[in-house]
Amino acid sequence: MNIGENILLAFASLKSNKMRALLTMLGIIIGISSVIMITTLGNALQGSVTSTFEDFGTNLIELYIAYKDDSTSRPVDEKDLISDEMIDALKEQYGENILSISTSLDVGKGKIKVGRNDVKLSISGTNEGFCESNAIEVSEGRFITEKDIKGGKNVIVIADKAVSKLFPKGTDPIGQELKIKTDSGTLAMTVVGVYKSKVSKMMSAMMMSDSETTNAYIPISTAQRFMDSDNGYKFFDFKAAKGLDYKKFAEEAASFMNEKFYKDNPYFQVKFYCFEQQLDSFMQILSIVKLVITIIAGISLLVGGIGVMNIMLVSVTERTREIGVRKALGATNGAIRMQFIVESIIICLIGGVIGILLGLLLGNIGALIIGSPAAPSISGIITAVTFSLAIGVFFGYYPANKAAKLDPIEALRYE
Amino acid sequence: MEGKTIIEMQGIIKAFYIGTPNQLEILHGINLSVKEGEFVSIVGASGSGKSTLMNIIGVLDRPTAGNYILDGIQISSVGDKKLSEIRNKKIGFVFQNFNLISRTSAIKNIELPMLYAGIPKQKRTKRAKELLELVEMSDRASHMPNELSGGQKQRVAIARAMANDPAIILADEPTGALDSYTGRLVMDIFHRLNKEQGKTIVLITHNNELAAETDRIITMKDGMTYENPATKREAGQ
Ligand SMILES: Nc1ncnc2c1ncn2[C@@H]1O[C@H](COP(=O)(O)OP(=O)(O)O)[C@@H](O)[C@H]1O
Ligand SMILES: [Mg+2]
Repeated sequence: MNIGENILLAFASLKSNKMRALLTMLGIIIGISSVIMITTLGNALQGSVTSTFEDFGTNLIELYIAYKDDSTSRPVDEKDLISDEMIDALKEQYGENILSISTSLDVGKGKIKVGRNDVKLSISGTNEGFCESNAIEVSEGRFITEKDIKGGKNVIVIADKAVSKLFPKGTDPIGQELKIKTDSGTLAMTVVGVYKSKVSKMMSAMMMSDSETTNAYIPISTAQRFMDSDNGYKFFDFKAAKGLDYKKFAEEAASFMNEKFYKDNPYFQVKFYCFEQQLDSFMQILSIVKLVITIIAGISLLVGGIGVMNIMLVSVTERTREIGVRKALGATNGAIRMQFIVESIIICLIGGVIGILLGLLLGNIGALIIGSPAAPSISGIITAVTFSLAIGVFFGYYPANKAAKLDPIEALRYE
Repeated sequence: MEGKTIIEMQGIIKAFYIGTPNQLEILHGINLSVKEGEFVSIVGASGSGKSTLMNIIGVLDRPTAGNYILDGIQISSVGDKKLSEIRNKKIGFVFQNFNLISRTSAIKNIELPMLYAGIPKQKRTKRAKELLELVEMSDRASHMPNELSGGQKQRVAIARAMANDPAIILADEPTGALDSYTGRLVMDIFHRLNKEQGKTIVLITHNNELAAETDRIITMKDGMTYENPATKREAGQ
């Protein structure tokens, strides 16, 4: 009796009881589909997050001021802020290890009237290093320069998305004047550069910003003047030279600042935020989520396997007489065992395949929702198939063995 | 009838353990010898042990004690796997209630013993078609058992018993569930297999007329066999 015949036999047997077969498979289907879904989704999420972080660069480090003690809540004074001198000192101290420093100041939302519509901008004052630190790609004109900052010029860099909304097609945006209404008054700015907008769907979803609003950048000195704000920063970003231990370097930079400038400040200190560390902890969370889902899926596979075993036992009992007849016709115990194991494997494999398809479907829908390309894992699919095969063998063996060991006489007499 | 002895039994005892200390002895030391090509019938009251004896002859069951030699093979020294092979190659069973495998076409049922013998598909199909012709069931090849009448089922079952061209056909009340007309048809097939193909046939029946047509009648009573019922207790104890 070869495998092919056994497979045909198994299909015939399942076909005669489709509903029961499907219900039996349910546990397997749920288990396999959740594993496939979560690996597909997890890979998509991981890929999207990694690429986002890679845009910024994992070498991005942020230093910011924070209260030394959470219970104090004295408002920030100008002398608490990080000054340009402090930043220069840091630069001097670490030299080559600091690639670019970016400072920024949030100006807030601005609106430009074009016909009946408003074009919305989110305006930040930045320095020349901001461009590199935040991986901004200038497609036309230039970014904010040191000269713009020194002179406090009224210039602006806007997104390509904003350009198409602001100006008629074919207009050269460089040199155009913009009147921007903000909460703190009206800004009159000359466009000097356009950058490519490339915020991922996931990032915009996570930040819940409406995609209509684009970022626009003006010189930080202009922003400070316009906002009437203090000279200094609550935070600034810089990029560490490649190959450094970023977290350790961030720690070192923060403690340098604290030693040198904040030792005597009773309320404030400098803290750091390291993107690499952030990425690491995100990945850690993701792998925990994956593990939990995998355990749940494992439990549902176990339950599914027990269901398969149960139905196989029922099947063996129902077909006791058939087993007796087969033995009378010359079936060996091994042939009977094989017949039932193959049937159990077929149930599990069909369940597995349905589970894989369902999992891929759900994973793809999920990926579509997060807005990053689905990444079905081939190894996950192979594992799923192997696993369902193993369940079929493992949980099919006992019933099959029971069938094989039936006494032919008793089996033939079975009513 | 000349020829070698194919079934040789001495002192066959069969006892069932129906929970200690009770032991129920069904066969009390049967001596039986059947020659190749013989058509033997076994008659006797219900519960006399006919089926039990038949199962031992067909190596579906092992005797509790006694010596059984089938076609030169000492059965007591043979393992289970070998017994399966003997059932497959040397024995063809025909049952009262047909025992066709349900949801499996007539031709697939006939192919089954060949499947277990490892015969390739093409050869199987060819042989099964020949056998269907032999029992005049060619037009029902793809019918399922539940689409066949009792007589038709039994003809398919006989064809199945013949699949691997066994030396012995064991039929346990094959006409018991059939009307006299279809029973006659089935009986004619056995006669043909015996005459034309020289099959050794052991037939259990309640029908004395049918038994009378066979070469030899063995009567069973309370687990003992008696040959030639006309002269009564000649054999036996
Ligand atoms: N597995 C068994 N356990 C106990 N008693 C059995 C078993 N099989 C058969 N018997 C008994 O053996 C006796 C002979 O049965 P059987 O050979 O089927 O008789 P027959 O075929 O002549 O009608 C019966 O009394 C039956 O109850
Ligand atoms: Mg009987």
